[in-house]
Amino acid sequence: MKMDAPTKKKVIIIPCSGIGKAFGSISRDATYEVTENLRKDTTQTLCLALLVSGDEDSIRLVRNNKCITVDGCPLQCAEKNLKLAGGKLAGSLRVVDAYKENRHLKPRSVTFLDPDGQQMALKLAERIAEKVDGLLEDQ
Amino acid sequence: MSEYLTTTFDKFELRVRKGFYYTRDDLWVSVENGKAKVGVSDYLQKTSGDVAFVEVAKPGSPLEKDKEFGTMESAKTTVALLSPLSGILDQANSNLSGKPELVNSDPYGEGWLVIIAPRNLEDDRTALLSAEDYYKLMLGKLQSEHGKLESR
Amino acid sequence: MGEVQEKKVGIISCSGEDCVEGTISRVATRQALGKLRPNETVTICLPLFLAGGREEREFARDYPTITVDGCDKMCAKVATERYSGKPASTIVVTDVLKNLHCPKLSSRRKLNNEALAVAEKVAEKIAEEVDEVLRHWV
Repeated sequence: MKMDAPTKKKVIIIPCSGIGKAFGSISRDATYEVTENLRKDTTQTLCLALLVSGDEDSIRLVRNNKCITVDGCPLQCAEKNLKLAGGKLAGSLRVVDAYKENRHLKPRSVTFLDPDGQQMALKLAERIAEKVDGLLEDQ
Repeated sequence: MSEYLTTTFDKFELRVRKGFYYTRDDLWVSVENGKAKVGVSDYLQKTSGDVAFVEVAKPGSPLEKDKEFGTMESAKTTVALLSPLSGILDQANSNLSGKPELVNSDPYGEGWLVIIAPRNLEDDRTALLSAEDYYKLMLGKLQSEHGKLESR
Repeated sequence: MGEVQEKKVGIISCSGEDCVEGTISRVATRQALGKLRPNETVTICLPLFLAGGREEREFARDYPTITVDGCDKMCAKVATERYSGKPASTIVVTDVLKNLHCPKLSSRRKLNNEALAVAEKVAEKIAEEVDEVLRHWV
């Protein structure tokens, strides 16, 4: 599968997609909400693992465009892996911070998000979109 | 010689700090200069998930043994923190308000919760478990564990 | 010190954000872990594994692993070989799809019924491979 290089600058949103926790699934869904809905013309995502496996297209993409990482937990694997690949980290968000602002939401399901998980993903997506707007203004 | 008793469950290494005392509710107690520092065990932080909030009574508050002095909250669960000793809450770990993840990353060190000035240290200590006894208790809890521990 | 569990197989799924096969890989892995073989398997979080997660890498080094990849870039397999050792088995979702009759798959975000059916097939394949690995455990 060939990575499409954006014809104009986009912001690359990279979720951790941690498989063991609901917050990992939320990072992923929030990213899709942004790249497929809220800011679909100005953002895209890519497979985090491709950065570490040395995929040239992916590495070129993150080095040439501003990136926002979305991590499920304080271990911040997306941010760490992006830095290892030499990507342009322009912002990093954590699902746990969205949870702190929405304490009533208790996402439990990991494989398929439950309603609280979906709600938290939407809240997080709004924060990501705001960040994207800020980065695009600076360009 | 290791500072810890350790076991492996799935891919997780679970540690029990030697030389500390423990409650059956998975809190540890370390006595220093006549005061008792209290935190959560590695087992409790692992089963609780990513800690987002730690809220405890204010310094100066009287504490009663086995009564709640605070809560520890993650998206997964809210844990009532029961005091291992009677006394006065002397100090709360102020770092936890900005960095509650310290409870997960360093439960026996920087993730401590409170320091208590105990009223009846010797009496209350007899009810606490040694590290070795807590280790056995923890193994028993793991054996009956139904769900899987979350990745950290 | 005491080992609570001895025979376990680590399942490492690709993160697969960019394509529906990646989502299928993820869902299938979760189903194998949570429903089909909950007592025999352990999930290895690939992002944590890549970032240097000690527990993930040590488990993958000391226990047999099965990698589940969405596409032929095989990120999970590549990472496992690089950081821990050759997996005992590898599954690629696009290979599974070749044996099915070109189901019309949905978007990567929300799997439609066809994609869910593929995920179930992949989950069953994972379970079979787990059984095979455990049968040959010495």
